[in-house]
Amino acid sequence: MLGFIIQRFLQAVVVMAVMSVIVFCGVYAIGNPIDIVIPPDATQEIRAEAIRRLGLDRPLWEQYFIFIGNLLQGDLGRSFVYNIPVLELIGGRLPATLELVLISVITATVLGVSLGIYAGYRPDSWLAKTIMAVSVLGFSVPSFWVGLILILTFAVNLGWLPAGGRGDTVLIWGVPWSFPTLDGLAHIVLPALNLALFKLAMMIRLARAGTREIMLTDTIKFARAAGLSEGTILRRHLLKLISIPIITVFGLELGSTLAFAVVTETIFSWPGVGKLIIDSIGVLDRPVMVAYLILVAFLFVTINFVVDLVFALIDPRVRHGASA
Amino acid sequence: MRHQKFLAPLVVALGLTAAGAVSAQTLTMGVRGGPESMDPHYSALGPHAEAAKHIFDTLVWSGDDLQIEPGLATSWEPIDEDTWEFKLREGVTFHDGSAFDAEDVKFSIERIPVVTGPTTTTIYVRRVASIDIIDPYTLHINTDGPAATLPYDFVRLFIVSSDAAADYSTPETAAEGFNSGAATIGTGPYKFVSWEPKGDLVLERNDDYWRGIGAWETVIRKEIPNDSSRLAALKAGQVDVINYVSSVDYLALERDPGIDAVKGDSVYIMNLQLDQREDTPLVRAIDGSELDENPFRDLRVRQAIDHAIDRETMVDIVLEGLGKPANQMMPPGFFGSNADIPMPEYNPEKAKQLLADAGYPDGFEVDLYCTADRLPGDGAICQGLGQMFTQVGIKTNVNAISKTVYFPAQARLEYSMFMNGWGTLTGEASYTLGSLAHSNDPDVKLGAFNRIEYKNEEVDQLLQAAATMLDADERRATYEEAMAKVMADKAYISIVQLQTVWGTKAGTLEFTPRFDEDTLAFFIKPAS
Repeated sequence: MLGFIIQRFLQAVVVMAVMSVIVFCGVYAIGNPIDIVIPPDATQEIRAEAIRRLGLDRPLWEQYFIFIGNLLQGDLGRSFVYNIPVLELIGGRLPATLELVLISVITATVLGVSLGIYAGYRPDSWLAKTIMAVSVLGFSVPSFWVGLILILTFAVNLGWLPAGGRGDTVLIWGVPWSFPTLDGLAHIVLPALNLALFKLAMMIRLARAGTREIMLTDTIKFARAAGLSEGTILRRHLLKLISIPIITVFGLELGSTLAFAVVTETIFSWPGVGKLIIDSIGVLDRPVMVAYLILVAFLFVTINFVVDLVFALIDPRVRHGASA
Repeated sequence: MRHQKFLAPLVVALGLTAAGAVSAQTLTMGVRGGPESMDPHYSALGPHAEAAKHIFDTLVWSGDDLQIEPGLATSWEPIDEDTWEFKLREGVTFHDGSAFDAEDVKFSIERIPVVTGPTTTTIYVRRVASIDIIDPYTLHINTDGPAATLPYDFVRLFIVSSDAAADYSTPETAAEGFNSGAATIGTGPYKFVSWEPKGDLVLERNDDYWRGIGAWETVIRKEIPNDSSRLAALKAGQVDVINYVSSVDYLALERDPGIDAVKGDSVYIMNLQLDQREDTPLVRAIDGSELDENPFRDLRVRQAIDHAIDRETMVDIVLEGLGKPANQMMPPGFFGSNADIPMPEYNPEKAKQLLADAGYPDGFEVDLYCTADRLPGDGAICQGLGQMFTQVGIKTNVNAISKTVYFPAQARLEYSMFMNGWGTLTGEASYTLGSLAHSNDPDVKLGAFNRIEYKNEEVDQLLQAAATMLDADERRATYEEAMAKVMADKAYISIVQLQTVWGTKAGTLEFTPRFDEDTLAFFIKPAS
C-alpha cells in the first residue's frame, strides 16, 4: 500500500513539473505579458522598468529556476495582475467552484444512476424511452446555449431566479459558503443545473448499459431463485456490480469540472476558479496559470488515487489483485 | 424521497428571490471590467481608475467631455519653465475624519513609482522631479524640463491618506493594506466596504463629500464580463445599470420598452497602421513572389488604401450605427484635434488608379492583423476592411485575433498592416501623437507605441516643441499642425470613432455619458 502511495506521489510530481515547463514555454512563445497590460502613453523607459520588476528581462531558464526555488519554499509566486499571492487568489475562489461542482456532480450522479437503473430495468416502458430521449439532448446541446436559455427563461422572462453571480454567503470554518443560505441556493440552482445536464445524461447512459448487462447474468438469476425481492436485488447486487465504471467516471468528471467549469462560470458570472484561469490566460498572468495547472494536476492525481481506493473497498477482486 | 428533501428549500428560495426587489437607496451597477487592486496607484487600466474614482479623488478632475476642471486642486499655473504651482481645496476630509492637505499629495506622488503594477501608473508622475510644500494648501511641483501637459497627467493622480497608507506603501504590503480596507481611505464620494478580485465592490456613501451628498446610500459594483450575462442581469432586475451593451444587443434594446439605452461617444478610434520599414514581413506579390520594396512606403499606395475604405458602410452596416466616420486619431473637439482635416473620400476607382500609378496595376497580397476581443466591433471592422481592400486589388488575408496574441506580436514588429483601437484618455494630443506619431526615440521619451517606424522630421520637431510650450493656445495650434501632417502622410489611417451604450431599466436613472466611458455612481441620479 505504501509503495502504491509513493508511486502515485512521484507520478504527480512528474506531471506537475512537465506542466510548469509547458506553461512557461507556452507563455514565452506568445510574447511578453507587459505588452498586453502596458498603458498606451508609457515611455520606453517605463516599459523597461515594468519588465524588470516582473523579472521578465531574465532568460527563461533563469525565470523558471527562480520559480522552482520559490516553489520549494512553498511560495507559488504573486499574480502579475493582482499582485497578491497566487494561492490566496485561487484559494479565495475555490469554495465557490467547489460548492457549485459538488452540488451539480452529486445531483447528476444520484439522479442519473437512479434514472439509468430504471431505464435499464424496464427498457420497454414509455418512461424509460422518455429518459433516454432526454439524455440524448443532454449530450448533444452545447452547454453555453443551455445556460443562456436557462437565464432567458428563469431569470429574464419568469423572474424566478437570479441571472448570475453568487448569493449571500455564511462563514463555516472561516470559509464563505453560499449553499446554506436561501439567496445562495437561489443563485446556485441555474448554474448547477447547467453544469449537471451533460453529466446527468452520461450517468443515465452508463447506469442503463450496466443494468442491462448485469440483469442478464447468473448472479441476478440466482438471487431471484433464492427468493430475494427485486428491490433487494437492485440495491444489494446490481448497484454494486455497475458501480465500478460509474465511480471512475464520477472521479474524472469531478476533477475536470472542478478544473474547467469555465463556460458555466462565465455565463453565470460565477466567481470561481474557472473564470479566474480564463481571465489570467487573457492577460498572460503566468504565475496564476502555472500555479493553477499544477494544482489541477495534483487534484487529478489525488482523485484518481481515491477512486482506486474506493474500487478496492467495493470490489474484492481489485483489492486482492493489488495486494498480490 | 431523498430528492424531494433536497428540492424543498429550492422551492422556497424561488419565491424569495422573486419578492426581493432592489431597494431605492441602493444602486447596483453591472460593469464589464473591474479593478485589479483597491490600491488606486496599482494600475492605469480604465476600469481600475473608474472604480478608484468612487473612493478617491484626483488632483485634477476630468469632466464629461474630458475637459480639465478643479478636483482636489482648485487652481494651477506654471510659475516658471519647470515649476507648476497647485492650490489645494481647503476643508476636505478623508473618510476617517482626518484633514486633507499638501502632505497627502506629496505622499501619493512619491508612492506611485514604488507600488505600481505592470499597467504602470508611473506615467502620471513621470515628469515630476521633486515636490515642495509651500504651505498646507500650496504645492510647487518641479518637473524635468517644461511639462506643459502636467495637469492632464494628474487627472488620474488619486490622493490617498498619508496616515492611513503609511504602512502600506511597499510592493509587498500595498495590496494587503488596501484590499483589506485598512488603507482604503480616500476623500471620494463613497467609502470602501468590501471587494473581491473579479467580484463585487461594495461601497457606502460618504456624507461629508465636498461636492455634496450622493443619491445612493449603498453602491454595489458587480463585475460581469460576459456581454449577454450582463444584459440578462439587467433584464432580470439584478442590476440597475450596465455598461458596454454590444451593438447586436443594442438593436434589440431599441425595441424593448423595458430598457433605456443611453448612447455616448467614445474616445476610441480605430486606426489602420501601415509598416514603413524598408523590408516588411507580410506583403507579397499576387503570385506569392517577393516584392522589390515595401509598397506601404509609397504615398500613392497609402492614399489608395484610404480611398478604398467606405467609412459610412463601416458605421451603418458593420457597427449597426454605433460609431462615426473618423478622419484623425482623436475625436473632434479634443485639445489638438484639427477641424480642417477633410473626411477622406471613398473612391475605389481612384484607389485602383493610384495603385496602378504606383506600379501595382495587379495589386499585391497582404496579411491584415487586428484585435477581435478588445473593443466592440473590432473583429467585424477588420473583416470589412479585408473585403474593401480586396475589391481594389489588394488581396487581403484577414486575421482578427485575440489581443493576448496581437499586442506582443505587434510590439515585436511582426506585422505589416494592422488595426487596433486607440483611446485618447487624457483628451489632449500629446498622449496620442507623442506615443504614435513621433519616431520611436527613447532619448526624448516619445514614440514608444510607434510600431510602424513612421518618421516625419517635421512632425518630430513639432511634437518636441509642443511638449515644452506652456502657452495653451500656441501648443494647441502646434498639435493641430502636427495632426494634419500625420494624417496627410496616411501611414496611420483613422477609420471610425466608436460609440458606447449603457442600459438602464426604463425611466429609472439619469446620467450624462462620459467620453472616457466611466460609469460613476455619484453622477447617476434617480429619474425625477
